Amino acid sequence: MSDEVRDDLKYTETHEWLKLDNNTAKVGITDHAQSELTDIVFVELPEVGKEVKKGEELCVVESVKSVSELYSPVSGRITKVNSGLEDSPETVNSSPYDDGWLVELEIKDKSEIDALIDAESYKKSL
Amino acid sequence: MIDMVLKSPLNDIHNELGAKFTEFAGFEMPMQFSSIKNEHLAVRKSVGLFDVSHMSNIWITGKDAEKLVSLTTVEDASKIGDGKSQYTAILREDGTVIDDTIFMHLGEKYMMIPNAGMSDEVTKWLNDKAEEYDLRATAEDVSKDYVILAIQGPKSREILQKLTDTDLKTVGFFGCQYADVAGVNCIISHTGYTGELGFELQITPPNLAKDVFHEILKAGKEFDIKPIGLGARDTLRLEKCFILAGNEFEGGKTPLEALMSWTINWDHDFIGKDALLKQKEQGDYQRLTYMECIDKGIPRHGCKVQKDGKEVGIVTSGTMSPCLNKGIAMAYVDPDYREKDTILEIIVRNKSVKAKVVKPPFVKKDWAQQN
Repeated sequence: MSDEVRDDLKYTETHEWLKLDNNTAKVGITDHAQSELTDIVFVELPEVGKEVKKGEELCVVESVKSVSELYSPVSGRITKVNSGLEDSPETVNSSPYDDGWLVELEIKDKSEIDALIDAESYKKSL
Repeated sequence: MIDMVLKSPLNDIHNELGAKFTEFAGFEMPMQFSSIKNEHLAVRKSVGLFDVSHMSNIWITGKDAEKLVSLTTVEDASKIGDGKSQYTAILREDGTVIDDTIFMHLGEKYMMIPNAGMSDEVTKWLNDKAEEYDLRATAEDVSKDYVILAIQGPKSREILQKLTDTDLKTVGFFGCQYADVAGVNCIISHTGYTGELGFELQITPPNLAKDVFHEILKAGKEFDIKPIGLGARDTLRLEKCFILAGNEFEGGKTPLEALMSWTINWDHDFIGKDALLKQKEQGDYQRLTYMECIDKGIPRHGCKVQKDGKEVGIVTSGTMSPCLNKGIAMAYVDPDYREKDTILEIIVRNKSVKAKVVKPPFVKKDWAQQN
């Protein structure tokens, strides 16, 4: 069981991570989540330019047996998607925090970041 | 009522082996040990060991046991000799399937292996019909007395042979007999649910099964044997177009709809026969259809099937095929739209995924040699 939690990221209770870079943020699923899902075989990414609200479905990650929705940790506009995952979804398993990022957002309301949990609290929740 | 989840007698072993569990038909069983994909490929290419104790065991005994089996299944049991087993279906009077099952002919008795969670219903059905038709036969639910192990994959015979003096080459396809395996007397049958070479063991009492399980894992080490969970069991059967009762019979399907006509012996009388004959004559019914996705996407149970926007069917089982790396699906489809190479649309989360009708099975017999 791998459960790496990185200190420089923000987390949600539903196992998404967010990495802030000025006004944009990359979003993915945590090491714990990928390890629980195992064998990710399909990723359905949203359209670039789409506006999402905090808590809304951002994309879908499928393992052999399960379909999991990923929820947006914050509100914003989608600026990039990791389209390489369409051909190699297993990257989410092998590199959940780096090459396996899913979506990049332009953040609408930075105060929403404060509501996310830090590495320490996320670690405790596992 | 207390919500009881039953556990396999091998539950502790599964825990030690790091299983992730799932609930299936009232049983807590391993979903996977390492990864569904790895377990799946291990069975296709080498060998895997399954605990399938959630399946049911029913002894059918008495002077009229053979007659009861013939009456309640689509098979004429008099054609299935001692030491042979048969895949068949138990029908209601209206021709819909109660359950699909294997029965084994063992001397004077028959052992039936209905699906998980079906033991009460099938036992009652058999006993009710024995009474109704005045047959001297009794069905006894012995599911809790048996552990069922399945060893499946091209190396299965070689491994099992190390643990028994019975020459396994003499146990033909769908043959069954008593044999000592790892010092434990069990019923061994040349059967399985993976489409690979394989055997299944019925072991009683359950406490003897732990040693057998460990001995098989030990004997299989040289071939990197893996314990296999229900996740891979499902993808393995789906690639071979084998039916899963809970999915493909949901809502009441007949064996004609489920493309099980090959199991029906029309030359004998059985419950449901009249209804099937009527349906056969009418001919206009949805049939199970096998589809391979052309677009990216994974069809799942319940997805609608369309042709040019018109609904023509519904998916009963779907997955990403670990061997083909494509979405595959079994679906009930209107008779006009199921010819080979027909392009249909499967609706996955409101998106249309193009799929092509193919001949079964999705994964052919020589796949492991080719890959």
